[in-house]
Amino acid sequence: MNRSVTPSRLGRNLLYALVLLGGAGSAAAYLTVGPQRFWANWLLWAIFLLTLGLGNLFLVALERLVGAHWSVPMRRVPERIASLIPLATTLFLVALLGVPVLFSWTRPEAAHNPILVAKSAWLNLPFFVVRLLLCIGAWLLFYRFYVHGSLRQDKSRDFAFTVRARRLAPPFMVVFFFSISILAFDWISGLEPEWYSDMFGVYLFAGTFLAGIASMTLGVLTMLRRGRLPQVETRHYYNLGTLGLAFTVFYAYIAFAQYMLIWYANLPEEVVWVQRRVTGGWGPVALTLAFLHFFVPFFLLIGSAGKRNQTVVIIATLSILLGHFIDMYWLIFPELGAPRFGWPEASMAALFLGLAFLRLRAAMQRGADLPVGDPLLAKGLEWQP
Amino acid sequence: MPDSGPSSASTFAVVGLFAEPEAIIAAARRIRPRKLGRLEAYSPYPVHGLAQAIGLGESRLGTYVMGMGVLGALLAILFEWWTSAIDYPLNTGGKPLFSWQAFVPVMFEVTVLFATFTAGLAMLFAFNRLPLFGHPILHAKVIGQITRDRLALSLERTGPGFDTEQARRALLESGALSVETVALPSFAEPSLRWLLRTVAGIVAACLVAGVGIYLAEKLVPVVPPMIHMHDQPKLNAFRPSTFFADGSGMRPAVAGTVARGHLPFLPKSPEEAGRILVNPLPLDQRVAQRGRKVFDDHCAVCHGVVGNGVPLLSSAYGAKPANLLSSDLRGRPDGYIYGVLMLGKNAMPSYAADLDADDRWAAVHYVRILERAEDARDEDLP
Repeated sequence: MNRSVTPSRLGRNLLYALVLLGGAGSAAAYLTVGPQRFWANWLLWAIFLLTLGLGNLFLVALERLVGAHWSVPMRRVPERIASLIPLATTLFLVALLGVPVLFSWTRPEAAHNPILVAKSAWLNLPFFVVRLLLCIGAWLLFYRFYVHGSLRQDKSRDFAFTVRARRLAPPFMVVFFFSISILAFDWISGLEPEWYSDMFGVYLFAGTFLAGIASMTLGVLTMLRRGRLPQVETRHYYNLGTLGLAFTVFYAYIAFAQYMLIWYANLPEEVVWVQRRVTGGWGPVALTLAFLHFFVPFFLLIGSAGKRNQTVVIIATLSILLGHFIDMYWLIFPELGAPRFGWPEASMAALFLGLAFLRLRAAMQRGADLPVGDPLLAKGLEWQP
Repeated sequence: MPDSGPSSASTFAVVGLFAEPEAIIAAARRIRPRKLGRLEAYSPYPVHGLAQAIGLGESRLGTYVMGMGVLGALLAILFEWWTSAIDYPLNTGGKPLFSWQAFVPVMFEVTVLFATFTAGLAMLFAFNRLPLFGHPILHAKVIGQITRDRLALSLERTGPGFDTEQARRALLESGALSVETVALPSFAEPSLRWLLRTVAGIVAACLVAGVGIYLAEKLVPVVPPMIHMHDQPKLNAFRPSTFFADGSGMRPAVAGTVARGHLPFLPKSPEEAGRILVNPLPLDQRVAQRGRKVFDDHCAVCHGVVGNGVPLLSSAYGAKPANLLSSDLRGRPDGYIYGVLMLGKNAMPSYAADLDADDRWAAVHYVRILERAEDARDEDLP
């Protein structure tokens, strides 16, 4: 299990080339098509990568919280994907430069809008920055504690860490739910500050969990297929499929409940946000989102045969991940008008995908593929349903 | 005793006891390919691999549940579409009659209803053979051990080809500690008579319950029957009420309220009306038709169909209706005719209560049309 796998130089160089090309394209996009589209793309990727990382950190803490054994042999995968958190939080710090471009409530006209004046106790720049910094601090602290602590345990075999990790899981949950709600309200629904939905924090949480479980499952199956997790068997990743199925239903429930309540009540101040996202060119995008994020994974994963079949599970996770990206795109981009995916979007996708994969490749080399120092590992390997 | 088993025909199964999970799995693997009968296993605790060893496939229950769930969703949306868009179209808040958003919760509920009922009923009737209340294994002598600390492998009789002796030998050779032949209980196959009696019993129970509740409600009215919307706190028109200061349940209209189509008429005489009112209706085909209908229904009986003052009824009536084609009336404004309709003139009563404002103005237009028709010229002919 401590097999060292040397990554191919070719792959790394290709990723560097992707980052360079994407970076050049992004700079050109900033100069030619303007800062608004540039910062919208930046925010899209920052949120997408952050929710991937946070979703995996949440899964790590969830295992500690409920005292699960079955997931211990696979825990290195979410710990490694969680290493997107430092990258994504850096992107958010840079995104502070784009706040005046992205958020209408920062502009002087906002002082004449009675709704925004009433909301100014929350929507003001100093508090906004403080909230972001507090969230980032909390995420990085928990990331260091759970991921680096687990890596240290490989060598120290210190049982005390397992006890501490379990003890810190409940406070993590509280901090996580508060911070993910703040992220949702500040950085997504804040794009249209007159609009509000009580459900929105839960909506982003559902998407985050789904992105986390899908990326973890994809990571586990990729490593399995490369022979890097020989002890992990179908009975282990079968549960990942079950969780994925449960949470596509949860996401669909939250998303539909929010949509239907707004549709039914038909209040002008609430309905504009939804109307912009389901009419015109955004209608097909919303439909694609519903299919990729719910119908496709739901019908692929509902049978027990599907959850055992690696190819089926991989298709379902890819559908969920693409759906999650379209979800974030569908939340952010309607503020710019009709749906567009041109060369600026493509080059920024290349830049951030390159950065994310470079980060993940580095993380894949850290520590053993199994958490060898975890006292629960043996129990997890033996675990039977 | 265990060796004096019944003959093959009345045998349910031959049961062998085992002490260890490994032993029963090995025995099942050995016996299964010989196809001596239907293989079944009993265990007081879950044994991994035993289901595969006796060749237990995946349950078909999931397929049934999925199929019925989809059927439930389709039936629900069909039903909602038919009731709300076809049979009884009801506009709700200006939303489309077929609003799938509003249908989803009901679709979801019906899907769950169909799926859970299928799961429960299919399990009870199709897989647990419900009219069969006791599984034959419950009559085996080894049942006390099976539910405590022993595992059992049984070969069930599947047809006349089943050989009890062969099954016993096979189980003993595979390591069974002891073997017992379990007889088929006498009530195993429910008779038609039994089924009819059961159905009749259920119907009788429903009848007794329904009639009993009906009579109890009628004869012993302790619980008043629900009479829906008749009894509710409300204020009735023309009834006294202690709620409002004036003691009346009916509210007077707010001062200055103008009902649609009932603008107040202020002039005191037709002449005054002629000075201040103008016809607000633009003349078109539709207004002319309406004016003709109003005129024919209300005016023509006295003023004549062409308005020349020759009544349709006998002139013995006494009054002398005005000739609407006279030069005097031609010289008066539209508002004058409207004023006469509102206030009446000589023997003509007021039509304020019979017609609404648009009807009266349409009739005024029609009077003008009749005047024009009187002077028709050759070039007016089509």
